[in-house]
Amino acid sequence: MLSMKNISKSFATDNVVTHALRDINLDLAEGDFVSVTGPSGSGKTTFLNIAGLLESSTSGEYWLDGEDISKLDDKGRSRMRNQKIGFIFQSFNLIPDLNLFDNVDVPLRYRGFNAAERKKRIEYHLDQVGLASRMKHLPSQLSGGQQQRVAIARALATSPRFLLADEPTGNLDSSMAQSVMSLLEDINANGTTILMVTHDNGLAARAKRQIFIKDGQAQELRQGQHNIHNLAAV
Amino acid sequence: MFSYYLKLAWLSSKRTWGMSLLMVLAIALGIGAAMTTITVNYLMSANPIPQKSDQLFYVQLDAWDPNDPYFDNGDPPDQLTYRDATALWQAKKAPRQSIATGVAGVIEPADKEALPFMAQGRANSADFFPMFDVPFLYGSGWDEQADLNKEFVVVITAEINERLFGGKDSTGQTLRLAGKDFRIAGVIKRWQPQPRFYDISTGAFQDSEEFFVPFSLMAEQILGQSGNNNCWKPTESGFKAYLDSECIWTQLWVELPTKADVEQYQSYIDAYADEQHKFGRFARTRNNKLSDVMTWLEQREVVSEDASMMMAMALMFLTVCLLNTVGLLLAKFLGKASEIGVRQALGASRRDLFLQHLVESGCIGLAGGLLGLVLAWLGLEAVKSMYGDWMAELAVLDLNMVLLAILLAIGSSILAGLYPTWRACQVQPSQQLKAQ
Repeated sequence: MLSMKNISKSFATDNVVTHALRDINLDLAEGDFVSVTGPSGSGKTTFLNIAGLLESSTSGEYWLDGEDISKLDDKGRSRMRNQKIGFIFQSFNLIPDLNLFDNVDVPLRYRGFNAAERKKRIEYHLDQVGLASRMKHLPSQLSGGQQQRVAIARALATSPRFLLADEPTGNLDSSMAQSVMSLLEDINANGTTILMVTHDNGLAARAKRQIFIKDGQAQELRQGQHNIHNLAAV
Repeated sequence: MFSYYLKLAWLSSKRTWGMSLLMVLAIALGIGAAMTTITVNYLMSANPIPQKSDQLFYVQLDAWDPNDPYFDNGDPPDQLTYRDATALWQAKKAPRQSIATGVAGVIEPADKEALPFMAQGRANSADFFPMFDVPFLYGSGWDEQADLNKEFVVVITAEINERLFGGKDSTGQTLRLAGKDFRIAGVIKRWQPQPRFYDISTGAFQDSEEFFVPFSLMAEQILGQSGNNNCWKPTESGFKAYLDSECIWTQLWVELPTKADVEQYQSYIDAYADEQHKFGRFARTRNNKLSDVMTWLEQREVVSEDASMMMAMALMFLTVCLLNTVGLLLAKFLGKASEIGVRQALGASRRDLFLQHLVESGCIGLAGGLLGLVLAWLGLEAVKSMYGDWMAELAVLDLNMVLLAILLAIGSSILAGLYPTWRACQVQPSQQLKAQ
């Protein structure tokens, strides 16, 4: 469902060119759970941003669900993000003015669902993360773990096929981190493909596949039950 | 999505209420100042008789001092001599013609308990009423015969009718005016053209008259003339000599429905001036003008340069207020960069974000516009209190002005919001999401 071929990303400032990613090749199948690890500044987040269509690559091909991403304009990329990708961030990124109901409502609004459908989905997904009773609360009234659960409910509300998590447990204590990780495993077990960036090797090891990024180059650490890909050599 | 954007605008304004209030105040001040001056200018420069302003022509002839033009720019005088005006009126070369001048007289109520009072009036010929579409409540004007026969007929206003006859139909009854009994031919409804185009010699925004009598009575010295009267050479003694003098104090309007009529009438007054030239008058024989209503008002600068300058300054003030709003909006929208990044990640296109923020700008503009209307109303009240009664009719916010104020406020705030909105849409979501 996701295929990257020779994806590179470089930033040019004055006379200096910085290569954030070099010739990344990756294929993800439906239902994969891939963790991405690597030292700080290795390019993990840039990789995730390109995968999530938040940034464009400098070169290479990227196909998502049969569509060539490089051919999409802003509207097309927004549509793809809305329909096929769910995001979970380290700092939750809930909108502080909106209560939980309205936060989960955001992607549904852009999807164009009617009010009844939106309400049904919001209630269902908040219930799934155990926060149905706090729909009218503001994010600031919740703990970090609860906020991340709302973010997960928001990410899943549009039924995306692909979930991108950037350090989803980075701001949580270990018990909350375990709880969020279990939730992600459940979501993956239900068929959603997950790409997760993390610093925590323990959590990374729970993924079906592990990718290690260093100096902008990627390596698959162990063979999972899916196809092996020849990633660029470190 | 519009209602969703409205809700987001409300939440956003609530969160940054201080900044939102500043923006609303900035727009309100700009709109208030702009609308105060625009309203006065709009009413000053309005067409007072739009249905036929291009068919009514003011006649100017130049019988003035050969060595000293009446106006520095060489324009003919703004009124006619009695002898020229009556000559043209009697010639009946136009389908309709109205000769007129201002008069004043004492009205004596029939009720002996009531005190006599001075009233401003107009001595005019019969065509005055149909030419200027004067609206009647009861009766009508008089006919040409009444003019020729110098009949004592009068048309009064609804206010005078209310005062003297309790508002009942008084046509046929007698009005004691200037010591004579006048038969009331008609009562007109409230009629206050702004500007009072048919006679701007004493100011374009004077109240319209309280009574109207035949112009032919002027020769009988029944009523005193009340208005501008300019002479450039001494007159001989006696009223007859005054009527034959070169003093200017009458106005002549003609109704010329077609272009051919205008050309014919122009030829006629040119020929008249040529003929008078032979008798030693009209040194500037070809200085005769026919001006339709709007041309006449423009020529006489009814909207003064000061008023136009004031309006320009008020619009500049509005621009300054909007520039302030641009800065505040920019700060506000860029402060929401992280939210914008999140929305982009969740599927908002740049277009969605653009519309969301444009609606927010529009809402601020609407609030500013409504508050601006209140300030404009206060401004107009201040204008009235400063300039007195003659501004009362000009300092009024009508529906057009209210709509204009709101449109101006929303339009200008959206304009002010364009750049901040564009900048907000350029936010790179990847940077914002990580930066949180």
